[in-house]
Amino acid sequence: MPVDSRRLQGPESAFSYTLLKKKDANAEESVLSADLQKMLIGSNQVRKDKRKPTDARPLFLRTGIISQAKGSAYIEQGNTKLVCGVYGPREVQKKSDFRLNGQLFCEFKFAPFSCQKRRSHQQDNEELVLSGLLREALEAAVCLHHFPKAQVEVNIMVIENDGSPLAAALTCASLALASASIPMYDLVIGTAVRQLPKLLLLDPTKEEEWQPKLNHDENNSNLTVGFMPSMQQICAYVHEGVSNPEELEQMLKLVTEYCLKVQPVVQLCLKETIEKMLANEGENKDAE
Amino acid sequence: MAEILLSEAEKAFIHHGVQDDLRCDGRTRLDYRPIILETGLVSNASGSSRLRLANSDVLVGVKVELASPLSEKPLEGRLEFFVDCSANATPEFEGRGGEDLANEICRFLQMSYMSGDTINLAELSVLTGQQCWVLYVDILILECGGNLYDTVSLAVKSALYTTQIPSIKVATMDGDQPELELSEDPYDTKRLNTQNVPCLVTLMKIGNHYLVDPTPEEECCSSSGVVVAVSGTKKITAVRKIGSGSLHPESLVSMLKTASEVGTVVNKILMNKLLEEERAGKTQKVGFMR
Repeated sequence: MPVDSRRLQGPESAFSYTLLKKKDANAEESVLSADLQKMLIGSNQVRKDKRKPTDARPLFLRTGIISQAKGSAYIEQGNTKLVCGVYGPREVQKKSDFRLNGQLFCEFKFAPFSCQKRRSHQQDNEELVLSGLLREALEAAVCLHHFPKAQVEVNIMVIENDGSPLAAALTCASLALASASIPMYDLVIGTAVRQLPKLLLLDPTKEEEWQPKLNHDENNSNLTVGFMPSMQQICAYVHEGVSNPEELEQMLKLVTEYCLKVQPVVQLCLKETIEKMLANEGENKDAE
Repeated sequence: MAEILLSEAEKAFIHHGVQDDLRCDGRTRLDYRPIILETGLVSNASGSSRLRLANSDVLVGVKVELASPLSEKPLEGRLEFFVDCSANATPEFEGRGGEDLANEICRFLQMSYMSGDTINLAELSVLTGQQCWVLYVDILILECGGNLYDTVSLAVKSALYTTQIPSIKVATMDGDQPELELSEDPYDTKRLNTQNVPCLVTLMKIGNHYLVDPTPEEECCSSSGVVVAVSGTKKITAVRKIGSGSLHPESLVSMLKTASEVGTVVNKILMNKLLEEERAGKTQKVGFMR
């Protein structure tokens, strides 16, 4: 495995101080068997952040935040914050990789301070797999035949991970690609949903997300979907946890409905980007 | 997977065949190719298996070792997967070419094993917080003939089924240091309960239909598919969409339903065959000579 030789490595025996937290045996039991009670509080059955189970977190989008990139976008979904930079189309780095269709290179990276447990500076296996998933999803949306022999680079950096980073990354990346004037068939909207026995939570936070545990009960899972609303096509689908096909159908329905609701928001952001670009061009022309 | 060059006419031929439920090798859309399975091949491994699905050949070796458990999970042992795409499998895997695919398979296997009640990791604990069994599952892909996910998952399940973990007793505490005693009888081992270990089912979409167990040519014709991990009876533990195409929600839902049914059948047949092999006793190992 490649070792990062440019930075000082911490001592091998370092571990997270949260492991020293007093483990309440009762708390462990309640987490395993009564996730429901942990997630919802109050008589109104709202979640910890006062949302209803089928409410997503407020969304904040902005483009043009990286001046050097061809296109860029920033997304905030609750506390999950991501930046995406798009570079290209430019010549393929490895000349031997000549292809008739354009290529997409995605890099998904968590900043070391983004998660509860410190991440390494190099991409670990999880990030490599997420990069692959992102690339496959975006390849379905981008018109690759419009830039043969060229490559487009999409770099995602997660600044803060508070649940559903892949979903936010899908939305952010497609917005960045669109603002970089890369021809696309449709925008990709990403959403995550947590399945609990008899309950579905849309857009889970890190606490609400499914974690692999001992002796997990059925109908407990996490689903992340990348959906293209205008074309009604799913370009990314990742499910982990135990479920059955009927429940998965319900989750998919909830997710696609939400994606259709979010589509106008993303389109509005793009529209504002274009208006700003045109306004800037107008000013430059006036200055000349 | 492997880079296959197909002409437009060949692609059209495959498309039309799939429409009529008759694939190039005569199978229907939901048929698997013949599988050859043998376990207990590698004498130095605690459990091993070799599975050949038509042209896809996978060799799995499981080695058990004692290590300290993860600090966040002191009551559990763990499984570590490692996939090695041998350069023999296909020219693409030369050097570091097969690394991406190996990493994907490895990660997906890990995800599908971590969900639900697949393997009881608490059984692998020897001394809480200090010593546990770590099962190193090493998968060697010898030949790539399409449908690697399924082949790998079936081979891993068979290898885990036959894995023998030596029994270790914790002798009396000598002050602070507990002593571990290995049983003198080499056949005094315990086996894992692999009833709920998942099998992966790959479904590739061609035109308006989907296929089980695609050949490399069919994989080339298809732009998207799903890999579904099915355990026990129709329980889905992990799903991933593969390929650079997109799927309609309705097709995806019907693919998931089919995958769970197919997976259940495959699981049952595999367990029956493994039981049969076990009952047949220690016959002559065939190995690679066939």
